[in-house]
Amino acid sequence: MTAAGQIARKEAGELLLDLRGQAWLLAMACALSAFSLLLVGSAELSLLDNAQVVYDMAGIATALGALLALVVGVDGIGGERERGSLVPLLLTPASRGAILLGQIGGVAMAWAAMLALAVPFLWAVGSTGQNLWDGMAVLVLLGTPVVLGFGLFGLGLGARLGSTRAALLAGLIGLLVAASPLLIGPSLRQSALGGMFDAVNPFSAAVNGYDLVIIDSQGLLSQWMSLAHTLAWLALMLWFAHAAFRRVRR
Amino acid sequence: MSRMFLAGAVALGLGAAPALAAEALPISISMAPAAANRASAQMGDRLSFRTVIRNDGTTPVGGVIGWVSLLRTDPGQEQPIDLEDWSAHKAITIPSLAPGESVATDWPFRLIASGTYRAVVSAATRDGAALATSPFADFTVRAKPLVESRRVLPVALGLPLLIGAGMLVTARRR
Repeated sequence: MTAAGQIARKEAGELLLDLRGQAWLLAMACALSAFSLLLVGSAELSLLDNAQVVYDMAGIATALGALLALVVGVDGIGGERERGSLVPLLLTPASRGAILLGQIGGVAMAWAAMLALAVPFLWAVGSTGQNLWDGMAVLVLLGTPVVLGFGLFGLGLGARLGSTRAALLAGLIGLLVAASPLLIGPSLRQSALGGMFDAVNPFSAAVNGYDLVIIDSQGLLSQWMSLAHTLAWLALMLWFAHAAFRRVRR
Repeated sequence: MSRMFLAGAVALGLGAAPALAAEALPISISMAPAAANRASAQMGDRLSFRTVIRNDGTTPVGGVIGWVSLLRTDPGQEQPIDLEDWSAHKAITIPSLAPGESVATDWPFRLIASGTYRAVVSAATRDGAALATSPFADFTVRAKPLVESRRVLPVALGLPLLIGAGMLVTARRR
């Protein structure tokens, strides 16, 4: 197995087999449960159209996935540094590129675990309505670059900032701002400033794509602009993480 | 005071609105439900209406804009409906409509909420001062439970319990 594969496997093992990682997954599952229970517990929310609920759930899953990826990303370098295991890792024959690739693999595993958690919830709230499968497909298509981008953002912050706490705080503020379309919704697009924010925010590109596919029943293939937007975000964050990790000293 | 103002306005000729009435648009709009529409629609169904916008005049009409509106007409709930989630197809533009020419358009709706509704298509032109409207298309949407708690509860309660059990197993192995 390559060095990158070994690092990715170690990261995935920490998430799926370690108590700390399982606690994160439990927290994510509880958040999804709270949201879905709110849907059936509130008379008004339970009257939402299935497509609207699937759209909301896809947005929540993306936000939670980005949060998990951010934490895993910050922990991947900043956490290793605080635990004193970063220097030994850098002294191994593995190249920095391979180490970064392995850490990205860990982030990807975290997103895969989040998707696996989200699928039963999406089925539970949306199986009696329309566009459930398209909703899952667009979640994978547009959510993956957004979430991996936030994981890389966390990796870059963990490498760039000396303190894990500072990296987490900066990352969480960035995520909170980016995820604001979930709270504000389509009204964001109605002002010039909101429109500009929408145009550069990868989270907006993803949730607008979810809206078009799940609620407006547009085809997946017609979302190439949103996909290009989210891929540009992923490429930017890859560059940021790579540049930040190159500066880390042994 | 307001009555005195109104009387004064009428006396000054400001109330002569009929003299300023816009010339009728030489456009007619017919509207019919699609053959595939369900007789008794419920939330989540789709309905479609076909309009034919026709120039009944003798001169070409340019820059025709047609748009659909939806009104809720249940007693006490009368209101215009925001089409945001009801339809992605809200308007058409016709660059030019020759005399006798007509354009057929389908207006699909996804039924989001229960109630009694009235759809209407309106048309205006770039230069005309009047508005043409189609006949009303009335329809009723039956309510339907959308999120089934029987499906949600097992997942919402079961999944965290499953992960919690997995954590217990991990802790015991240590």
